[in-house]
Amino acid sequence: MPIQLLQQAAAANEWLAITPELMLALLALLLLVLELVLPRQLHTLIPATAIVAQIVIALGLAFNFDSAFTGPGTAFNGLLRLTADGQFLRLFFLVCSIFVCLLGTVCLAKQRMPRVEFYHLVLIITAAMMLLAQSNHFVLFFVALETVTVGFYILVSYFRESPLSLEAGLKYLVMGALSSSILLFGIVLLYGAAGNQALPGGSPNSMNFDQLRIFLTDNPGNFLASAGIVLVLAGVAFKIGAVPFQIWIPDVYQGAPTPVTAFLAVASKAAGFAVLLILTQRVFAPYQGLVIPVLSVMAAATILFGNLAALTQHNVKRLIGLSGVSHAGYLMIGVIAAYHEPHAIGAIWFYLSAYLLASFAVFGVMAHVAGPNDADQELDHYADLARDQPFLAAVLAIGLGSLAGIPPLAGFMGKLLIFVSAFKAGLYPLLAVAIAGVVISIYYYFGWIKAAFFPAWRPTDAGLPQAAVPARTPVNLGVRIALTVLAVTSVLLGFYQGAFGQWILTR
Amino acid sequence: MADSLFYIFAFFTVACAVGVVANRNAVNGAMCLMLCLMGIAGLFVLLDAYLLAALLVLVYAGAVVALFLFIVMLLDMQGGVKRPFKKMTAVASLASLGLMLVGVSMLGSRGHLATLPSPAAAAAPVGAVLKNYAELLFTTYLLPVQVMGFLLLIAMLGVIVLSKKFEGMEDIK
Repeated sequence: MPIQLLQQAAAANEWLAITPELMLALLALLLLVLELVLPRQLHTLIPATAIVAQIVIALGLAFNFDSAFTGPGTAFNGLLRLTADGQFLRLFFLVCSIFVCLLGTVCLAKQRMPRVEFYHLVLIITAAMMLLAQSNHFVLFFVALETVTVGFYILVSYFRESPLSLEAGLKYLVMGALSSSILLFGIVLLYGAAGNQALPGGSPNSMNFDQLRIFLTDNPGNFLASAGIVLVLAGVAFKIGAVPFQIWIPDVYQGAPTPVTAFLAVASKAAGFAVLLILTQRVFAPYQGLVIPVLSVMAAATILFGNLAALTQHNVKRLIGLSGVSHAGYLMIGVIAAYHEPHAIGAIWFYLSAYLLASFAVFGVMAHVAGPNDADQELDHYADLARDQPFLAAVLAIGLGSLAGIPPLAGFMGKLLIFVSAFKAGLYPLLAVAIAGVVISIYYYFGWIKAAFFPAWRPTDAGLPQAAVPARTPVNLGVRIALTVLAVTSVLLGFYQGAFGQWILTR
Repeated sequence: MADSLFYIFAFFTVACAVGVVANRNAVNGAMCLMLCLMGIAGLFVLLDAYLLAALLVLVYAGAVVALFLFIVMLLDMQGGVKRPFKKMTAVASLASLGLMLVGVSMLGSRGHLATLPSPAAAAAPVGAVLKNYAELLFTTYLLPVQVMGFLLLIAMLGVIVLSKKFEGMEDIK
């Protein structure tokens, strides 16, 4: 009997289905071992190992995109659902993690900090995000989400010699714990409501998304389930930084080390949207009448708040954080449009990819312009960047142009796809708000470009003290190649979408 | 009998939770937290979840609250200064009171909690028997358990990275 039981357990847990996650976790452990066994002189090889191994995993994943063992279906007793979207998100998070590690090599060189743990944490968070984006059960969902969140608590306060980093870590801890508890309360209400076997569709296994959906279809207008749905959505909105749960964004983005800010802005937001799409489109689909108004109000408020608040910022990390809030708003319009227009999901993936390319280009430049004090990155520090380091200035201009949605760049195509889906879905008021938001955003994005390209005004009176600008870091070869790839892809993806465009239309 | 016990434990738990927030003295707050957890453990016993009740008492009421008390006494925290009453506090309290009233009235009018038919002869809850509980952890929920292992690993690493003294370590430039 025990042997049979073991065989059953082994058959139900298809470890091959999560090969990329396993490889990342093993790589993370390998880094710690390498730090122990390698002599000190060779420790500089560890970040290189992490980056090269991740590129290999990413290539393996890309070549096996449609392979059999990762095809659609559930694994681990229905805890995971393997889909084409999940496969895309795996690749997305892996690419994010590669760039974060690369930025980490630039930023950690300016600090007195342990190095290897940073890469270890980034890898574990990436693996957990991959699981999160494919989860089909609230237990795995919550465990993966907590792994991501706990990892970010540490990463945000990683530069612990800077008080701002510690403050950001504490704020993120408190707000993260609050959002997790709200989310958990929602999950418990849903579990309790759907676990009542006296109601039609009730099942003891009601944490499973498929079971929960059956229950919600059979019981429209159940009050407890509605309350649970609103609480779960609020918890997810915390993670993506949608209004009214955006309060932590500026301080945390400013205090966190630059690579972590990039990780939060791109990967954490994408994970939030992956979860939001799974929940709203698949699980809560029978409760559209409740979900659509809630998301619509939040999307409009998020776009307006993000853009208006970013107008007055002088610290570039706060600026990019608040502009990220508005990007979350545009993406939420895509989520609402996906109810009527299936192409909207592909549009969201394209928007996120364009956002990844542009954001990492901008963060790459920020990592080089920043001095030893990572939280202090003002717009004034970009004075004469175009004259001193034309390469960085060009990458910055392309990245910011793409974020603003200037026509030939990828960011424009992303916004266009989302807006076309919203138009087809008939969301005219939201579309008007979004276009107004885009117009406002051009002001602050171009203010930043202006700071880098146009000659800065300097007091002619020699007696006045000059504003101190931190020394800029020279760009090394690896980062130069990465930034070139980001900028060139941002331009190319605007003209020609190729196989990727095919995939998002037909997925 | 079970109903009245439920109300007793529920009111006890909520009263202790209010005590945690309202107490100015941190030691009293921690003690209230312990009583609050005891109340929740009582609720679990009423639901036949003996294992959860025992774990709650052992881990939370025992270990975690003891840790809280230890740290509170180590830091020697005083009651703190009473903050002046501001207009915003009054507005915020009124707004939250209004929201709570709306929430409770909605639950009362639309919740239909009392009219739900009682569940038909449900099987013994999973949490009641230690063996079932363990079996589920090692079969159905094996993946989350493994992920938890990594969570604990990064939590441990985080504590080291954020608190260890770096002086005298040659590894760090």
